[in-house]
Amino acid sequence: MKWITREKPKIDRIACPWLIKRFIDEDAEIIYVPFNEVISKAKKLNATAFDIPDVEYTHYKDECTFDYFIKKHKLNDPALQTLAVIVRGADTERHDLASQSSGLWAISAGLSHNSGTDHEMLERGMMIYDALYSWAKYHKNEKHTQNPSEQLLIHVFEKFLKQKGSKKIPVWARELKEIIQDQIDTNITLKQLSQSLDINPAYLSREFSKYFDNLSFGDYIRKLRIDKAIDYLNNSNYSLTKIAYLTGFSDQSHFARIFKKHNGVNPSQYRKKLRKK
Amino acid sequence: MKWITRARPKIDRIACPWLIKRFVDADAEFIYVQKEIVFEEAKKLNAIPYDIPGAEYSHYGEECTFDYIVKKHQIKDVEVIQISNIVRGADTHRFDLAEQAAGLWAISAGLSVNYQDDYEQLEIGMKIYDALYSWAKFARAEVHTWDNKS
Repeated sequence: MKWITREKPKIDRIACPWLIKRFIDEDAEIIYVPFNEVISKAKKLNATAFDIPDVEYTHYKDECTFDYFIKKHKLNDPALQTLAVIVRGADTERHDLASQSSGLWAISAGLSHNSGTDHEMLERGMMIYDALYSWAKYHKNEKHTQNPSEQLLIHVFEKFLKQKGSKKIPVWARELKEIIQDQIDTNITLKQLSQSLDINPAYLSREFSKYFDNLSFGDYIRKLRIDKAIDYLNNSNYSLTKIAYLTGFSDQSHFARIFKKHNGVNPSQYRKKLRKK
Repeated sequence: MKWITRARPKIDRIACPWLIKRFVDADAEFIYVQKEIVFEEAKKLNAIPYDIPGAEYSHYGEECTFDYIVKKHQIKDVEVIQISNIVRGADTHRFDLAEQAAGLWAISAGLSVNYQDDYEQLEIGMKIYDALYSWAKFARAEVHTWDNKS
């Protein structure tokens, strides 16, 4: 099978050929031509065009062509999933996606500069993706090599620490904040969150308070729930049972107990006071 | 001049040979042997031992052997200084030191799995560090976007 794309490949147009050759068709022939010749040459050579707009194998929203290949050909290898995030980050200039993206980008940009032809670049690129794949398969979870998400967190922490004093909140913390806010009425747990972020729960628990008003995970969730309850008490006529339910407390007496701990009075006393005003 | 170090290199023992070849001695020869016999072989072969505790060319504090070579040989090249941060970050697992360190580590760790022959690995490693150097010199400000048709 022949595959054709734009010349001067850097990330996606090297990573995709690697994926094709290693997982789809080892005899695949890869052809690079100038941008405006891809479609006509594809027809002439009976080749499949990829990584250009308006073809099937291309970017979809924030996912790159590599992602599409993985989906389309149902490649379920977990190491490939790890690679996909790194490739996407490097290809779409979102180096925050995986801590390895910046390095992949730098090395790829340099290889492209040093390579005489696109096929020389491809040959070197094949070694890079073979290496990243082996790393993802054998080294990723090594004790001294923290996993990519953890790396990402550390990376963002460090960035954040350097920026201390400025008001910038790290991306992961913002995302986490949104997840928590979205799910505050459900039975949200640190374990689930750490799973969805692929981070060790103990680690998340330890680092959490740094970015959430010095509160532990449990305290932060409780504070959000109480804040939300106060909002309902101020702005609605909902029953206390309903407010307890809407703010994720398992029952009204638990709600009342926690509320009192935070505000000195229980919810019904709080509401009475409000009405007097 | 001959340089000798421990077998199974990953970061520093690939980056240092690159630095030496490109900035100190273009004809340098590099030898990898079992950790236990580095000093013994160094004497026998009249080679400089490096990146091993007890050698002059080694880690100092938080700095790795690459840093020491930069200092010792007074390499002032801006790109080399930049690469030294990436190498130090990758070699000492302080991926916060440079944004590119985690990726360099991943690729280097993978190469070491894929190439059992240290000399073969060095050959490919040379291309990686040449690439990082070119990136630092020519492509650092370049932004890669999907719409970029070139």
